[in-house]
Amino acid sequence: MKKAIILLGCPESPSQTPMAIYVTNELKKKGYKVTVSSTPSAMKLLEVSDPESFYIDEKMDIESCLESIQEGSFDLMVGFVHRDAAVSYFVTFENILNIPSIALISERELEVIEEFTKMIKESTNAEIVSARAYHNPTPLRVKFDKALKNMEKKNVLP
Amino acid sequence: MFCLETYLKESDDYLIHMSRSGFKDCAEFIEKNSKEVIHVKAGTKIVGARIIGIPPIPIGIDIEKSQIMIPYTKPCYGTAVVEVPVDLVEIKKIKDAAIP
Repeated sequence: MKKAIILLGCPESPSQTPMAIYVTNELKKKGYKVTVSSTPSAMKLLEVSDPESFYIDEKMDIESCLESIQEGSFDLMVGFVHRDAAVSYFVTFENILNIPSIALISERELEVIEEFTKMIKESTNAEIVSARAYHNPTPLRVKFDKALKNMEKKNVLP
Repeated sequence: MFCLETYLKESDDYLIHMSRSGFKDCAEFIEKNSKEVIHVKAGTKIVGARIIGIPPIPIGIDIEKSQIMIPYTKPCYGTAVVEVPVDLVEIKKIKDAAIP
């Protein structure tokens, strides 16, 4: 079975939890076994949102996940980026795993989005999905759907 | 083996030069304020933990003081620059991991 990892950032972004559940569901429909890797606080938000684990199956602490992964441990990575630290984590995971990846960048300020996009473009081969959004997950969801379809069309989705 | 996480919890002879900062600013600080700088790939194991950041990641080395200066990132707190004493064997391992 194909394996995907979803990397969550700091839980302060309101659209992260609903989008994490949405992305998990989309990837499961495509046949992936999905692992969500995050901080304990971001995981708490997911556990309350999905109390019966209808969507989230596999969970892993981001620190221990980072120590345990190696090239090819997963087949696809989707990472949430809305802070500078999340850029660093995304780039580090991508560089170690060396797999097709999607960075979901969302922020209020356009300048910050552009800076995060530049940093990720320069250091990874990731597909970049960015939206000037904070509370509303729709712009990011629409662009994520489009990016996933494009990757399928280009045959780069494992 | 030296473990940075444990060391920062159990010791008080380390220095935090910057905290809650962006990675770029921390990298620049290390480049400007270290006697010797080597660079490593993202995810390289340094002092028992994988180094997080945008490659090439600078590591400052001071052989005389037997200290290193590294960026240290946490998801909710951003990046800090930490200077910790390590033994010379550990410094040699770090140098061996440098990008040529």
